[in-house]
Amino acid sequence: MKKLCDRVLEKIKEENISPRPQWAFLVKDCFIWSAFVVSVIVGSLAFCVVLAVSLNNDWDIYERLGRTPFQHIIFSLPYLWIILLILFFWLAYFNYKHTKHGYRYHTFTVLGLSVISSIVLGSIFHTTGIGTRIDRFLDQSYSQFKMLNCCQIHEDVWNQPERGLLGGKIKEVIDQKDFRLEDFSGIVWIVREDDGTIEFEPVRVVKGEEVKIIGKKEDENVFWAKEIRPWDRKGIGREIKFREEE
Amino acid sequence: MLDKEKCGRKTDEELVALTLKNQDFFACLIERYEPKLMRYIRRISSATQEDAEDLLQEIFIKVYRHLNDFDGRLKFSSWIYRIAHNQVISQWRKTKSRPLVLKFEADEDFLKFIATDEDLALDTERKFTGEEVRKALEDLDDKYKEVLVLKFLEGKDYKEISDILQRPLGTVATLINRAKKQFQKISAQKGIKF
Repeated sequence: MKKLCDRVLEKIKEENISPRPQWAFLVKDCFIWSAFVVSVIVGSLAFCVVLAVSLNNDWDIYERLGRTPFQHIIFSLPYLWIILLILFFWLAYFNYKHTKHGYRYHTFTVLGLSVISSIVLGSIFHTTGIGTRIDRFLDQSYSQFKMLNCCQIHEDVWNQPERGLLGGKIKEVIDQKDFRLEDFSGIVWIVREDDGTIEFEPVRVVKGEEVKIIGKKEDENVFWAKEIRPWDRKGIGREIKFREEE
Repeated sequence: MLDKEKCGRKTDEELVALTLKNQDFFACLIERYEPKLMRYIRRISSATQEDAEDLLQEIFIKVYRHLNDFDGRLKFSSWIYRIAHNQVISQWRKTKSRPLVLKFEADEDFLKFIATDEDLALDTERKFTGEEVRKALEDLDDKYKEVLVLKFLEGKDYKEISDILQRPLGTVATLINRAKKQFQKISAQKGIKF
């Protein structure tokens, strides 16, 4: 019987087996590292959107919605982005573990590093406002996205004038104190401001601007505005004494 | 024909480089690792001699195909043991015809290791038989058996075991410590006195 060594060499010669070229392994390594980098970047973007959505969320309106703070948190979290965030944390971990020396590091170390890098990078992205832009783009482009992302639809929350919540697009600025607003069900309201009304930066009361208003329904299709906020973010409040002429 | 004398003085890494230029040098690596890997395969699987030989042939072919992937920062022996380990697992997954049972041949080397291991705090003067030790080892969890095979039967250090099993160093140390504790517990239950 032939020795194993001879059998192996014979097979190598007969089947013309040769070592795979080095570049093939390099390509594989590059692919894994690229997948890791992409996972971290996408995870960072997901974190950035979660951060933007959370910071822009109106956490202070829970009483008007008849919710406890905890219920309001549950209703407001962007679940789709949180799921994506977790998925890409895991993908970054998975890809790193499959690099040549990835096995040397403990699961918690690798997972921790992927979480920290996504958080740091995501926070940097947040300063550029990309999170708000991504969320707004998907919100406007894909109607299903709104339902998938969260348990509440933004438009529905701000279409409850009886609860003091009204949102929509400014149709016409009547004068320094009043403007017309079309809500999301197509009803046109006259919105009244007074000296105590607070406008939240960077909102601008001009035709075409989308706003959300906290206030009180005074009459049929007349709404008193206590606070006017930009539609897609929370904004920073400032008291308005008079509005500059356009 | 290759002068086998030349092989003897070469390191594994040098032989890898030579094989990439001249495939005949691969014979040196095969001859160097055939007995070690055959023993390892038989220890970590329930393969028959014939099956183990077929498996070993596949392992060497795979090693040859992947020679360019060998990372010089690893020991060649760790790398080739890793390929063997993966191939055994992959073969077992494919067939599942026999259970993946780790066999412990409680040979002299192993008994010497067991007897002198500091953590086990055993007397160097052996009062146990190989058969008794084998019985105690059979009851160990599978996850502990393989690290013990590598540590005590193959004589690998923690770093090498980490590279072979592709587990972190800390995990390997934990597995070995737990394996030792479980071994002590089982031995005590079986009334094996050391």
